[in-house]
Amino acid sequence: MDVDLVLRHSGALIDGARITLAITLVGAIIAISGGSAICAMRISSYRTLRAFARANILFFRVTPEVILIFWAYYCIPLIFDTTVSGFWSGSVVLGLIGAAYLAEIFRAGIAAVPRGQSEAAEALGLKAFPKWTFVILPQALKLVIAPLVNYFSEFLKNTTLLSAIGVMDLSLQAYLLGGQTFQYLSFLSAIAIIYFAMIFPVTLYARHLEAKLSDRSARPAGKRSFWRRKAPPEEVTANP
Amino acid sequence: MIDFDFLRSLDFSVVWTYLPVLLSGLLTNILLTGIGFFCGGVVVGTLLALANLSSRRLIRWPALAFVEFWRSTPLLVQAIWVHFAVPVVTGIATTPFQSASIALIFNVAAYCSEIIRGGILGVGKGQFEAAKALGMRTYATWRKVILPQAIRLMLPPLVGTAISIFKATAILSVLAINDLLRTASRLSTFTFQPVEIYTAAALLAFVVGLGISMLGYYAERALQRGGAHGR
Repeated sequence: MDVDLVLRHSGALIDGARITLAITLVGAIIAISGGSAICAMRISSYRTLRAFARANILFFRVTPEVILIFWAYYCIPLIFDTTVSGFWSGSVVLGLIGAAYLAEIFRAGIAAVPRGQSEAAEALGLKAFPKWTFVILPQALKLVIAPLVNYFSEFLKNTTLLSAIGVMDLSLQAYLLGGQTFQYLSFLSAIAIIYFAMIFPVTLYARHLEAKLSDRSARPAGKRSFWRRKAPPEEVTANP
Repeated sequence: MIDFDFLRSLDFSVVWTYLPVLLSGLLTNILLTGIGFFCGGVVVGTLLALANLSSRRLIRWPALAFVEFWRSTPLLVQAIWVHFAVPVVTGIATTPFQSASIALIFNVAAYCSEIIRGGILGVGKGQFEAAKALGMRTYATWRKVILPQAIRLMLPPLVGTAISIFKATAILSVLAINDLLRTASRLSTFTFQPVEIYTAAALLAFVVGLGISMLGYYAERALQRGGAHGR
């Protein structure tokens, strides 16, 4: 790996990293707000809303991300007769995919709050709004944070997919620089390290949150190093 | 807002004309999914999980570093990196399909090794000790006692991974493999009907993903029925 060469082009790589983070930001906003809305529909008492949420979650979880990104990039401008940049169509699609995943994570968090909490709130005469905002959601949120952070490490990886429709993110910048200098390996190794440096801390943080959560409920907090993790928690899976 | 004239002008007969081409692309995705799941997930993943559970640091630490690195970098970068690095390191030029398979196998192995490790750790020490107390040999212990329980623990996350692998295979089209996505994008530039072609491709991919997810659901149920006490 030619470190000098990579450093000489660090400006372009930083631009790319900025785009990568911008995609993550846009996607995160859409994913969190959309995920909350879909989660609300998923647990609502109206059958149509529930069915819509289930179909939405299923579709976005099993369809390959890149195909959806290509679909949006090439089809939305034609169907709506507008122009859409790769950045926006791609980030919105990634956000919608994220919304489907987060909806399931939120639902699992709400389901994990004991039923007695809801019953107790009702017994105290709390209406729906205070019941949810002061009793159920604060408890659910605590359970949700670790998988939420974990999902964002996945999301950061997914941002590279936008390079397929020409968004100048970190991976495409590196690929183009590789093409200009014929030093593909230097640039690709460099961004592999950069991605690792962005994503690994996020995973470690998620693990830390998880350990803290299960420590509080299971055993007294002890010193446990990151490297002796417990088994990964079961993934939330939506079966049809 | 919506361009209804355009929607009315859509002609999906082009999809029927080129359906065999799209299906052959889809077959490549399914083939890669199989390669990733069995070679990567089952074979390399198990080896990595065992290395990760080893009591020797010299084995455990490299395995751990490998898993963490492959889990924390995007598959797209890995695939392109492998495609450029393997010829430099080994002197053998790989075809795009081979590079894609190598990257996919290592990527999937890293994810699955964690699931397998979790499954084995989830069985509990008492089971090993009980098997030992009954005088069972190592092979019999694993075959009859540990694995049947561990597999039941691993199956739900493995199904999730199988779907992820299928979705990941679409990413590998950046290496110019004639998979569903690349077939679709070539067809759409050829026929000038991107909406019809991409919609068909997305639906085909959705159907396969749904199929994998249903397969996993029924496998899980069958295993649970087979066990004495479920999970």
